[in-house]
Amino acid sequence: MGLRSYIVARVLLMIPMIFLLLSIVFLIIRVMPGDPVLLHFERKASEEAMAELRHVLGLDKPLYVQYFEYLAGLLRGDLGRSMAPGHHSISQQIFSAFPATLELALFSTLISVGVGILLGVRASQSYNSLQDHSIRAFGIVVYAIPIFFLGMIFQLIFAINLHWLPANGRFPPFLPEPSGLILYLSKPAGGFAQVFMWSLPAGFVSWAICSVALKRKRVKFWLKGFLISLLVLLVGWIVYAYLAWHFMCLGVLHISTGLLTIDSLIEGSPLKFVESLRYLFLPSLTLGLVLSGVFIRLTRSNMLETLRLDFVTAAKARGLKETAVVYGYAFRNSFLPILTMMGLQFAILLGGAILTERTFSWPGLGSYLVDRITFRDYTAIQGAVVLFGILVAIVNLMVDILYAYLDPRIRF
Amino acid sequence: MKRFKDSRKGVSTTVVVGAIILIVIIAVAALYALELPPFARPPFEGIIMGTTDSVESAIDPAQAYDFFGWEIIQNTGCTLVEVEPGSSATAEDYTPALATEWTTSTDLKTWTFTLREGILFDDETEFNATHVKYSFDRNMGIASPDGPQLNMEYDAIIDNVEVVSKYVVKFNLKIPFGPFLGLMACQASSIVNPEYAGGWKTDWSTDDIVEYTEGDARASSPMDLGPYKLTKWERVGGKDHEIGLEANPNYWNKGAGLPKTEKIIIKFYADATALRLAIEGGEIDVAFRHITPTDIEDLKDDPDLEVWEGTGAAIQYMIFQEDDVGTLPSLNDPRARRAITAALNRSEITETVFLGQSSPLYSMIPTGMLGHTEAFATLGDANYTLTRSLLAELGYNETNKLEIELWYETSGHYPSSPDQAALYKEQFEASGVISVTLKSADWPHYRTNRNEGVMHVFIYGWYPDYIDPDNYAFLYYASWLNHHYSKYNATNHYFAMKAAYDAARASTDEAERISLYAELEDYAVEDCPLVPIWQGAAWAVTKPNIKGVYLDITQTWRIWLLYEE
Repeated sequence: MGLRSYIVARVLLMIPMIFLLLSIVFLIIRVMPGDPVLLHFERKASEEAMAELRHVLGLDKPLYVQYFEYLAGLLRGDLGRSMAPGHHSISQQIFSAFPATLELALFSTLISVGVGILLGVRASQSYNSLQDHSIRAFGIVVYAIPIFFLGMIFQLIFAINLHWLPANGRFPPFLPEPSGLILYLSKPAGGFAQVFMWSLPAGFVSWAICSVALKRKRVKFWLKGFLISLLVLLVGWIVYAYLAWHFMCLGVLHISTGLLTIDSLIEGSPLKFVESLRYLFLPSLTLGLVLSGVFIRLTRSNMLETLRLDFVTAAKARGLKETAVVYGYAFRNSFLPILTMMGLQFAILLGGAILTERTFSWPGLGSYLVDRITFRDYTAIQGAVVLFGILVAIVNLMVDILYAYLDPRIRF
Repeated sequence: MKRFKDSRKGVSTTVVVGAIILIVIIAVAALYALELPPFARPPFEGIIMGTTDSVESAIDPAQAYDFFGWEIIQNTGCTLVEVEPGSSATAEDYTPALATEWTTSTDLKTWTFTLREGILFDDETEFNATHVKYSFDRNMGIASPDGPQLNMEYDAIIDNVEVVSKYVVKFNLKIPFGPFLGLMACQASSIVNPEYAGGWKTDWSTDDIVEYTEGDARASSPMDLGPYKLTKWERVGGKDHEIGLEANPNYWNKGAGLPKTEKIIIKFYADATALRLAIEGGEIDVAFRHITPTDIEDLKDDPDLEVWEGTGAAIQYMIFQEDDVGTLPSLNDPRARRAITAALNRSEITETVFLGQSSPLYSMIPTGMLGHTEAFATLGDANYTLTRSLLAELGYNETNKLEIELWYETSGHYPSSPDQAALYKEQFEASGVISVTLKSADWPHYRTNRNEGVMHVFIYGWYPDYIDPDNYAFLYYASWLNHHYSKYNATNHYFAMKAAYDAARASTDEAERISLYAELEDYAVEDCPLVPIWQGAAWAVTKPNIKGVYLDITQTWRIWLLYEE
């Protein structure tokens, strides 16, 4: 089976898996003992008030109607209404918190993988030496330290004593948050110029990244890059013209990722970029270091096995540089289990690193879920669990696809 | 075999790239530290406040019935009268706000207010008597089940609001109500702008409550007569993340230089530790609600910070369920309740759990308020002799102990609940004739259990709705506590207490009210339906250059008085 067929098969398999997950979550919430509506009134509520809340939340309908409405809502991206006063949209609440969690997950994964792999490889190269033992001890210690404790130590050192970094939060209050790209729809000339400014380098950079990643350096690399950029520019202008035509009354269209570091780069504000990094640094360092313990041990054990293999000895005998042998040959063959672990860790982090978020007052999904559990907001808990399940399924799919791409032996 | 070159002369590419990256990082750090362009920071002329509290639902006087919601309403809305900052909220301490003067009939059932002229709403409409009538008709008409009007029984007090003339409004009451000015000064009586409160209509429902609107602070609040305008209200994951306030150019008292600070930012933190780190790290200028007692003690020694202590009006009390709870012994007999009360050691609670930052309370009316007495002190503290003798009359002794279930909440709604409960258990069991089983529930279940009347003995707390002893004494009659004290009125002093309570709220004579509340509390000591335990103080930590901090009996901040020296 080719890679393409493998990908299609995996995507198709994911659909019943997600369907099963959604159904289980739906049933669990509804078969739990007790009446959740009772918990959301300050005073003993009248039957009418409770009936009204049940009606607003759709809990007074037959179970099968609720189920199909639930599925239909999910297809529209509607995760239901919160049981808390105001009955706000759960989708809105979750997606307001998700970018913060995503940003923390990305940066902490980068740190954990970077530190873990570098130290793990070093340890494997200096097997049974003082360096190896030190790195192994470091890996155990950082993994064993409670995250909140490590976080508090960093806060005390870097925020309280040195005043280098902020202790809490995501962005300084005295600056307006990065707004990302602002398209001025009512000023077509300016808008087209903006699209030009972004499309040309965007197209070129994407072509460069793809070329390097796919290792397809061609002699006419630059010419192809330019042509791709022109194509992206043309597409960008067409999209912009469509948006301007239909949404000109809005005047301005915000395109932001919600990731403050990325949005500040898109906006072109170095100050906001540095500030967002300052706030992100301690929580992602804390979480990244703790998780790096896993990668240190995993990398070390896999590398030790690989470095003993004949092809490594042969590469060294041919006079290749140490780094080329280790990273170019040995590490690439040890990478697959590390990739699996990366996927698992990243998926878990997307559900919210609760302790880290509480320690650093990071406004992410973890804090949201804890609050909703505390206040028995069952519909919000259901929505968050569904989203988390879907994200885990997607991340696993991506890992499987990468797996199959990196190792052609892995197919059905 | 040809060998590959594995060494080269000169500097490697990795070293060059690494050096360039290092130089860039150092350059950026230097520019950032020196605040040179492009890292020049915009000036911020304001005060940043931090808290662990949050708005529970909406900033609408018809819905908000939580501490922080009222905090925001206090600073963005306006009432007819205000309590003088730093005062004890006695009758003389109510000052003009949107009303310039007022009179009351001798029977205290008619209150007439003359309004301030020339005050403009956001939409340039002039404030007048019709807006007062509109606000009260609307808020009482909405009658949100969780809102203040229903829970404070506005409809049992106010019959109707009458527009006498453009700047004169009259409140016709159903009962004589001495503390009416207190009710008018509370945040639930804030005046709303019809433009943002649902428009001019008479048919109201809970659908008209002004809820949080993502990205639109103006649409999230129906008020705009206060010292500040709500310019930013950001929620992330359904929880308050940041609130921004800016000086209201239409504020009636701007001539007095108010508000003193143009911009206020309120940041929300996950817990007390994060709040402490924020104030210690200099990220915020003011930290308030909630700072733990140990943090307060530590921060008192910090030369870079100032700790403020203010009058507390929050109380914690114990409630006995007089109806039977399963197979547990009935607490219907007041001797059982008095016996348990006598075993309490309030000083130990306040010193051990709160490090002296709260004070023992011997009356449901807090210290410093009109009508406060030390009535419950007659039962003593850790008075095990009394406990044993009273329980002996009921057949309880060291081999046949009175078994009680003591409930506390675990969601942090009240400070240090688990620590308090553990100490109560210790104190009661030290008598030798009481056996305590501790039970706990998170806040939603705690409330439900209270509504169902299944908690044998439980701890509760109270912040005043309006600053008057009436708002504390009513707790004996609060039906929502479901302790069924009124059900056994044939064998207790319920009616006598009610008579004193009703007479006190129908009077404005201080001496008379003091006497009536003393009588009420004496009966309460006989029956012990509710037992006061401690009264909390108000605390805040600020940078030393922050002034204008008033932590008075109203419990809410007059942010408009804050300034940087």
